Amino acid sequence: MTPLLVAAGALVAIGAAVGTGARDARIASLGLAVMLAAAPFVANPLPGPLPLAFGVVAGILAGFLVFVAARRVPNHAGPPLGLPATLGAAAAGFAVGISATAVALPRLGPDAALAAGLAACAVAVGPIAVTRDIFRLGSALIVLVGGAILVLTALAGTPEPLTGIAAGVVLVALAGAVAAVTGGAVAATGGTAVPDGLPGRRAAATRAGGDR
Amino acid sequence: MSVLPFLALAIVGAVIATLLREFRRLGTLAGLGAVVVALAAAGLINPDTPLSIGGGALAGSDHLRLVLTLCLAGGLLVLIVARLATWQPSAPGALLGGAAGIGFALGLAGTPPGLLGAAAATIAASVLALGSPAAPSRIRALARELRGAATSLVIGLIAAGIVPGVAPAPGAAPAEPAAASLVLLGMALVVAHRFGAIPLHARVSRLADAAPSGALPILAAWLPAAWGLIILGWAPAALGPSSVGLGLERGLVVTLALATLLFGTVAALIQDEVEHVVAYTIVADAGVALLALAALDPAARDAARAWILVFATTRTAMIGWTIAFRAAFGTGRLRDTTGWLRRAPALGVALTGILVAAVAWPGLLAWDARLTILQSATAGPALLLAYAGSLGTGAAICRVLVVGGGRPSAIVASSLGELPRLPAGLVAQAAVPMPDGAPPAGAIAAAGALARRLRVAAAAAGRDARPTLELNRIPLRAFAVILLAGLALLAAGGAFGIDAAARAPGPMLPSPAPFVGG
Repeated sequence: MTPLLVAAGALVAIGAAVGTGARDARIASLGLAVMLAAAPFVANPLPGPLPLAFGVVAGILAGFLVFVAARRVPNHAGPPLGLPATLGAAAAGFAVGISATAVALPRLGPDAALAAGLAACAVAVGPIAVTRDIFRLGSALIVLVGGAILVLTALAGTPEPLTGIAAGVVLVALAGAVAAVTGGAVAATGGTAVPDGLPGRRAAATRAGGDR
Repeated sequence: MSVLPFLALAIVGAVIATLLREFRRLGTLAGLGAVVVALAAAGLINPDTPLSIGGGALAGSDHLRLVLTLCLAGGLLVLIVARLATWQPSAPGALLGGAAGIGFALGLAGTPPGLLGAAAATIAASVLALGSPAAPSRIRALARELRGAATSLVIGLIAAGIVPGVAPAPGAAPAEPAAASLVLLGMALVVAHRFGAIPLHARVSRLADAAPSGALPILAAWLPAAWGLIILGWAPAALGPSSVGLGLERGLVVTLALATLLFGTVAALIQDEVEHVVAYTIVADAGVALLALAALDPAARDAARAWILVFATTRTAMIGWTIAFRAAFGTGRLRDTTGWLRRAPALGVALTGILVAAVAWPGLLAWDARLTILQSATAGPALLLAYAGSLGTGAAICRVLVVGGGRPSAIVASSLGELPRLPAGLVAQAAVPMPDGAPPAGAIAAAGALARRLRVAAAAAGRDARPTLELNRIPLRAFAVILLAGLALLAAGGAFGIDAAARAPGPMLPSPAPFVGG
């Protein structure tokens, strides 16, 4: 485990914490972009130049798509946890991952990837479980998937280029979905809160009338 | 290489259908046309040389061709039924996007890329189906779908990642029992969530409420089927050697499967809305998918690869039937539509066909594949219970048919029948004799008169095509649903070489990563 690897892992963890804990949605999207762009570097050995570049570009593109959505988020819609608490959770997850050597977890990848992955999962679980804000939920889902890919890297070793490419596609698709659903929520409800209540059974006239 | 043209056409078609969805007529033509083109391309997929991509590979197979062909053919018929009932602009794009994602997921070598492809397909199809037009119920449903797809992906990736760590050479050594049990339970959770097994069943039912009905086949049947194919294709190879030490975990999965089969059947039997009946038959059959996973047996895997095709095709047909039913009577509530068979006998014929396809009989692929799965995972009383539960879909359909045989309700009595009709003007013009002169004599003159009369009728029919179509939406819908039932029957009977395709090995690769869909 090299210091550079740990530094890249720490950058991912901080990016994940900012992505899920920053009050300003645009700063959160910046944190996401940092996390996703740094994540491909947390591997030993590093992926080839082309898959690495693809991962970085996909991460930046995903962050940009979330930034597009962030511009429509009202200022009052903050994360469920503040930034300090989220940073604390990320630090705890990172420490657990780095200490995994102590329990001899069988794996083929670096500790730093496990640390960064666990940190990302730790900060993402809270918003996914409790938030009713569609933007925060989407950001947390992106962080969770990014964290899972890092955990996969830690357990199974540096992913094959095809896996890296597919992961980049999924992250971009998820970011696009976040942009779409955030825009739709703002258009339909004027905010980014997931509407309350169970979906009612559609009346016959409504369903027969189609989508519009 | 044969997968690439399909992927290109499906993706381009999805983009075009989505861009043109604001235009009712043009959007309909573009959407249906794109599905037809993608269907033709899917029919040309064959088990050819894998295409190397980034250290992995993409290849076609007979099974992939069948998955995509049945998905698109069934989806096309459902779109036609839906278009004859209402206007659902987002459905064609969702079908094409989802089918392209399924093509990626099942065509890629290796489990993690397959899971990533399935997640991308789920996300794309959900956004295309539910993203526009924005409505609170759809936003809620989309958020639920995104959350479910992402968490399923995360669990699946981590579970798939644990196995190489504990058993580096595939098939060489059994995985460590503790790790193998975690992996099995994780994958069971993913299958349960994707198919909607109890207690994770709310997703399917709420999706049936919120999603456009034309997009339901891809969202509720084919995408879960793709997830199932990937995981069921991976499990026997990854966990088979460890299956002896997984008795408790397999018992837990079997228990969950039995509970799903029984409670899903009960739920399907007590639902009042026909869409919910279909949703809970999907929930009930999640139990069969879980049993296929718990078996950890290559024979059960092959049977599951065949059964899943029958499952998804019959559910597609049932969804098409519900659209036609709701459009015919203006409601989907069974309590308001007693005696519906009197007004819609063609729908009754179609539903009977779907019933036969869903239940089947010994010797038919649907029956044999289901029984193989049940026998691989259970024995004794549990097998009996599973067997009874697996007939739940048939019981739910029988209940709908029994309701249809009752005394017609006021809604049913006031609804239109299924007989074809012609516009009044057209009928009158076709019946008019020759306008002038004496009636012609002789065979040649009579034939000429008939030809002139036919020309008049054809011209009038061309002019009145739109009113004729408007008048005959109900019989046309019924005809399309009968075609759907026929497709389901063919799949249940093992047509198109389903059995051989399910048993065929995937393309050979230099890499040890197996093709999950091949």
